Amino acid sequence: MPQFFSNKRLIILLVSMIVLVALIGFSLRERNRPSWPEQFVKDTTGWVQSLVAKPTHYFAGLFSSLHELENTYQENKELKSRIDKLASLEAEVQTLKKDNQSLRDTLGEKQTLSDNDPLPATVIGRNPDRWTEMLIIDKGNVNGIKKNMAVVTATGLIGKVKSVNQFSSTVELLSAMDPKNRISALIQGKSDVYGFVQGFDEKQKLLLIKSIPAGTTITKGQNVITSGLGGIFPKGLEIGKVVDVKPDQYGLNQTAYVKPGADFYDIQNVIVIKRLMTQPQVSQMSSGKEEDL
Amino acid sequence: MKKILLPLLFMCLFLVESLFVEYLPDQVFGQNWILVPRFLFSTLIFLTIYTGKKQGILYAAIFGLVFDVVYVEVIGIYLFLFPLICYLVSKIMHLWHDNFMIAFFVTICATTLLELGSFGIQHIIHIANLDFIDFLNLRLFPTLILNAIFLLIFGYPLKRYFEKYAARLSGE
Repeated sequence: MPQFFSNKRLIILLVSMIVLVALIGFSLRERNRPSWPEQFVKDTTGWVQSLVAKPTHYFAGLFSSLHELENTYQENKELKSRIDKLASLEAEVQTLKKDNQSLRDTLGEKQTLSDNDPLPATVIGRNPDRWTEMLIIDKGNVNGIKKNMAVVTATGLIGKVKSVNQFSSTVELLSAMDPKNRISALIQGKSDVYGFVQGFDEKQKLLLIKSIPAGTTITKGQNVITSGLGGIFPKGLEIGKVVDVKPDQYGLNQTAYVKPGADFYDIQNVIVIKRLMTQPQVSQMSSGKEEDL
Repeated sequence: MKKILLPLLFMCLFLVESLFVEYLPDQVFGQNWILVPRFLFSTLIFLTIYTGKKQGILYAAIFGLVFDVVYVEVIGIYLFLFPLICYLVSKIMHLWHDNFMIAFFVTICATTLLELGSFGIQHIIHIANLDFIDFLNLRLFPTLILNAIFLLIFGYPLKRYFEKYAARLSGE
């Protein structure tokens, strides 16, 4: 049996363990921006990735459109029936919008929580290690992307911007296990109910909405949208639909299981949403500790 | 041209892993499997076995670091695990002859070790909340099958290429 680790090797192993802990500690720290060597490496690989990603998107699109051709007839039938309703719905939306605008003018409120500025981006990579679900998109600091902006697809919210480089940025999906990932959500019904998107059920692929007060009744099929009260996301981005409600451990709160509207897999194009309503300054926010009155 | 072929190969695998996950659908064969492509890592192990310890650990460290910076955003996990497992593999391969089936088997073991190692680290820094049984059933076994398929298809060409590369290195 040969010796696996000689003395020198053992020392190297121990030193590298210490370096490992130090490096992990360094990168887990709350950072506004990755350091410039990291940004450089990310931007360089991002450039190569975007060269590769665009042709593959093209071919994947071609392939999937061939696939879609199969059930075109059925879909067409269904869509036609829906489009009849659409015209009347559009007229209604138009009048409501006008109504809303005039009421807002009389109130003198210019901005709302749902005002936003969309910026389309292409997905050029995804974390293959799959512990934290992250996407890499081809827009960065130069395109005006900031940390914590909301990211959506056509069908709903998928996550937020985690870190920004000059020409690319990283998006953390809602399905990622990040304890810091909390989004203020609103469950639409006769009376609105608020809660936090907190966690993801890996087995059932459902989002968990926690901190819902115990007395409220929530039924299956209710819509869940962002509330805009978190200070970072705009209001009205679709999250999903309620599937199940359970009381939490102590019975003080309820947890709603929400089927996300967006598909977290096979994402090719996303929209980064910039909130236009002023954001609270960090200095104005309390630290979260209780203050003496 | 021949000199940049090896880094280019690893760079391609690095990008292919990301593309593979990007186009992977929600469910594969109706299962909630978490398929993790470890193509880059398997190739690094093959490089260690067929070319040499020095090249293997060097490339493992470089691509471990790039992997951490670009994809994981936590520096240190793969920078540590890739070279360490390559080192262990090079030690184990001293004991056996480098037959293809043995190399295949050792690579699968190394992938298991990598998954266990990353599971351990993720558990310590509280990113994963998968319990161990789920980790085995949902993640480890499907991943091993995926990587075994990759190795069965590309293992032999990789072996040939790395052996040629080793011969060229010793010829210089």
